[in-house]
Amino acid sequence: MTPTISVSGLTRRYRGQRALDDVTFDIDGPSITGLLGRNGAGKTTLMRIIATQEFASAGSVRVLGSSPVENGAVLRRMVLVREDQTFPRLRVRHLLRAASWFYPNWSGGLAEGLVADFNLPLNRNVGGLSRGMRTALGIVIGLAARAEVTMFDEPYAGLDAVARQLFYDRMLADFTDHPRTMLVSTHLIDEAADLLERVLVIDQGRIVLDAAADDLRGAATTVSGTVDAVEEFAAGRAVWDRRSIGSQESVVVSGVLDDDDRARARQLRLSLTPLSLQQLVSQVPGRSNQDLKEDQSA
Amino acid sequence: MTAWINVGRYHLVDPIAYLVAPWAILAFVFLINLVITEAEGGPNPTKALAVIYLCFFGLGILSAGGSLPFGLALGASRRSYYTGTLLLAVALAAADGLGLALLQVAERGTHGWGLALHVFQVSYILAGPWYLTWLTSFVGLTLLFVYGMWYGIIYRRWNRFGLVAFIVGQVAVIRVWIVIVDRGHNWGGAGFSFTPSPMGLTAVLAALAVVLLIGGFALMRRVSV
Repeated sequence: MTPTISVSGLTRRYRGQRALDDVTFDIDGPSITGLLGRNGAGKTTLMRIIATQEFASAGSVRVLGSSPVENGAVLRRMVLVREDQTFPRLRVRHLLRAASWFYPNWSGGLAEGLVADFNLPLNRNVGGLSRGMRTALGIVIGLAARAEVTMFDEPYAGLDAVARQLFYDRMLADFTDHPRTMLVSTHLIDEAADLLERVLVIDQGRIVLDAAADDLRGAATTVSGTVDAVEEFAAGRAVWDRRSIGSQESVVVSGVLDDDDRARARQLRLSLTPLSLQQLVSQVPGRSNQDLKEDQSA
Repeated sequence: MTAWINVGRYHLVDPIAYLVAPWAILAFVFLINLVITEAEGGPNPTKALAVIYLCFFGLGILSAGGSLPFGLALGASRRSYYTGTLLLAVALAAADGLGLALLQVAERGTHGWGLALHVFQVSYILAGPWYLTWLTSFVGLTLLFVYGMWYGIIYRRWNRFGLVAFIVGQVAVIRVWIVIVDRGHNWGGAGFSFTPSPMGLTAVLAALAVVLLIGGFALMRRVSV
C-alpha cells in the first residue's frame, strides 16, 4: 500500500544550520498523527516542505504516491494551516469564498457551523481580527477543506482554553465522519493527547520518537517514596530521571509495570504516577527510538 | 486551466483593488485637473494618466507580495499562481487599455473636454489613432504589472535585503548608462543609434515586458512562503 505521506532522508539547511536532519517516516491511511517537539525543533519547516511552501536541501517527500512539488493534482488534495499564516487584507467571507474554489471537497455547511462556533465576523477585514480570530479562520479553512491530507501547525495561537477544546471536538467529530490523514503539530501535548493515534517527536531537526500513542501511555512511570525503597524498586530497571530531596526520592522508570510490580510498590509504600504524553515527550530527546523500545521490552 | 481561473477569481474575490480602485483614482485625478484647468485656463497637458500605470505597478506588487502566501496555502502551485495572475493582468490591461483609448477619442472629440485639457493624450507616445493608443496602453499596463510582480517576488525570496539590492542594482545600471551616454555626447538619441517611432518604442516596451515575464517565472519557481 502506498503511504499517504512518505518522507525519506529529508534535510533542510539554513546557512550551515540543519533545521531538518535526515528525517524519515511514513504515514499510512486515515489517522491523526501528532508532530511534537519544542519551539524551533523543526516542526514548521517539516510541514512547509511537505506542503511545498519550502524546499528541501536533500531527501524526498511523496504525498498520495507522488511528489507534491508543482503537482496541482496533489496540492489540491492537501491543506496546511500555519500558526503564522499570512492572509491578504480581505474580508473573512472573501477568504472563505476563495478557499471554497480551490478544494474539491470543501464543505460550506461545516464552514458555516465553525464560523458560528468561533464567532467569526464574516464582514470584518482580516487586518482587524484578533490573533485568536485569525487562528480560528485558519481552523475553519483547514477543516472545511476536507483535504485528504490535512496539516495544522500549532493551531491554537491566541485561542483560549474553551476555543481550543472546541477545535479538538470539531476536528475529532469531522475526522470520524470523514476520515483522512491529519498531521497536527503542537507543544500543548496533553491537551491533544487523547486525539492522537500516533506520535512523531522531533528534536533539533531529527525524529527521535515514532510510536503509536497507545504504546506510549504507561510506557514510563514516576516512582516516589523514601530513597531506600525507591532504589530497591528501581534496581535493574531503566531509569530516565532521578531527583531527591532529603530522604525522599523520585525516579522515572521506563517500561510497563505489571501487577507484581504494583504489589511490590504498595509493599514498599511507593507512589506510582504514569507519565503523561507531555512528560514522556520531554524525556525523549537524547534517547533514540531503539533505546526506548529496548527500555520498554526490558 | 481550472487552477489558473481559480487564481484569477482569488485576486478578484474583492473586486475593489483590481477593478474599481484604478479607475476611481484616475477619475479623482481627472476631476482635479478639470477644476484646475477651468480655473487657470488651457491648454493643459497633464501627467494624470500616470496614476493608472502606478496602480498597475501596485497591483503587481500586491499580487506577488501580499496575496501570494495565502494563494500557495490554498494549494495553488507556483506555476499556476504565476500563470493565473499574469492572465488576469493581461486581461485587465487589455480592457483598461481599451477604456483609455476610448477616453482619448472622447477627449479629442470634445477638444479636451471643452477646456483644451489633455489627460488621455500624451504627446509622442499616446498621440496616434485609438488602436495604437490601445496597443501601447495594453503593453505599458502589462509591463508595469509584471515589473511590480518582480518587487513582490524578490521580497518573498530574499526579503528586504534582496529588495534593496534590486533597487540599488537598477539605479547603478541607469547611472552607468547615463555616464556612457554623457561621455559619448549622445543625448540626442539617448544612447540609441536611432530615435524610435512611437510604434518602435511600444515594441521595445513589449520586448521588455516579455523579458520580465519570463524572468519573473524563473524567480517564482523557487519562492518559499
